[in-house]
Amino acid sequence: MTCSNIQERFVEYLTGQLSEKESEEIRAHVAECSDCRRELESLTEIWTKLGVLKEERPGDRLRTRFYSMLETYKLAEEEKIRKEREGLFSRLKNLWPRKPVFQFALTLGMLVLGLVIGNVWTVIPQQETVNTALADEVQTMRQTLAASLIDQGSASERLQGINMSYTLVDPDDKLLDKLLSTLNSDPSVNVRLAAVEALYLFHDHPKVKKGLIDSLSRQSSPMVQAALIDLMVSIRERRAVDALKSLLEQEDLNPEIKDRAEKGIQRLSF
Amino acid sequence: MTAEQRTDRMESLSDSAIMEKVRDGQVEKLAILFERHHVKIFNFFLRLTGSHNLSEDLVQDVFIRILKYRSTYEGKGKFTVWMYRVARNVHVDHLRKNKGTYNLEDQFEEPESKEDSPMHALEQKKDKELIQKALSQLPVKKREALILSRFQDMKYKEIAELFGCREGTIKASIHRAVKQLGEIYLELQGGVPS
Repeated sequence: MTCSNIQERFVEYLTGQLSEKESEEIRAHVAECSDCRRELESLTEIWTKLGVLKEERPGDRLRTRFYSMLETYKLAEEEKIRKEREGLFSRLKNLWPRKPVFQFALTLGMLVLGLVIGNVWTVIPQQETVNTALADEVQTMRQTLAASLIDQGSASERLQGINMSYTLVDPDDKLLDKLLSTLNSDPSVNVRLAAVEALYLFHDHPKVKKGLIDSLSRQSSPMVQAALIDLMVSIRERRAVDALKSLLEQEDLNPEIKDRAEKGIQRLSF
Repeated sequence: MTAEQRTDRMESLSDSAIMEKVRDGQVEKLAILFERHHVKIFNFFLRLTGSHNLSEDLVQDVFIRILKYRSTYEGKGKFTVWMYRVARNVHVDHLRKNKGTYNLEDQFEEPESKEDSPMHALEQKKDKELIQKALSQLPVKKREALILSRFQDMKYKEIAELFGCREGTIKASIHRAVKQLGEIYLELQGGVPS
């Protein structure tokens, strides 16, 4: 290692930043080399001399000043945040015109805008009314058509009329009467069965309920009787119990229907 | 890693964590960093300038600047390196404002000596004045590097990071600074070795 290499590390040697091995190298070198020894001696001397500059304590004034500066800074920061918030509010406030003329114009504009919005708003329900009226019209037409089809001569046309009544939401009394009379007196069993199904849809109607119960004693076809018994059970119509009991009193009652009626009475009485 | 280095690193970690809190708005936390470091920075300035009052002013300026530029703190490296960078800037700006001099009456003021012997105290005072005067004649950069290495417990690596140059450059520069200081000191003594 050259002398300049060694000398460059003298300060590290003095500050104790060298490892034991490196320090040993320095010591070995200066023991041999007088130039480097002199150099280290003079450096050590001034290095040590610097030690007279002992660490001193600053005056208490420094701490006082620091804390008051920090407090002032904190307050200023809080003020800044407050001002920013206020700034936003005042910008909104600035949107309001100063001159009465513009104030008036702005108010008028708002009023017009309100009217326009109000108008658009009310147009929509009006359209709905139109739609409802149209739907009502279709409904009436269907009812009339269904009623007139039921009056037709052929069984298939009568069936068509009954099928059409399925699509009605709220059929009028006239159509319900027609369905009930079809149920009681139509010569075709298929038509009468279709009537049972159609009337099932409207069983909530008090008139329909009563008509269905009354119809039970008038039916002669076991298929229609069975359909009516099933309907009574499924809508849990307790008032039908009496009608079922009187049905059981019929002498020529089909044994299968008898059985079904007895089970129906049991289930409805439960 | 020695125990001392480990403590060192832990300390700097928490210094950094605190400074990040200050940066993110908890400015009152700066008080912790002040309590930890103000004596060290004060002595850095005192050895640089030789003036008690000026050093107190400069320490105050350092903490004002830390607050002012807190948003630029990135949390990379040691906090003390960043802090001494601020301190160097404060010092350089002061010199620029005062055209390279400290322009103070209280420079090399008398320390409060606790020595019982008046003769010894007087000698110490003279020694101190002399070494401080010699130090003040070193170029600013060399003086800073020497003080950081001799008194502020900074490693070559950290000083190199602070000065933005290679470690080897700092090593050579400090070596020359010590040598030059010795020559100045000798000269001030009138060429007679003590």
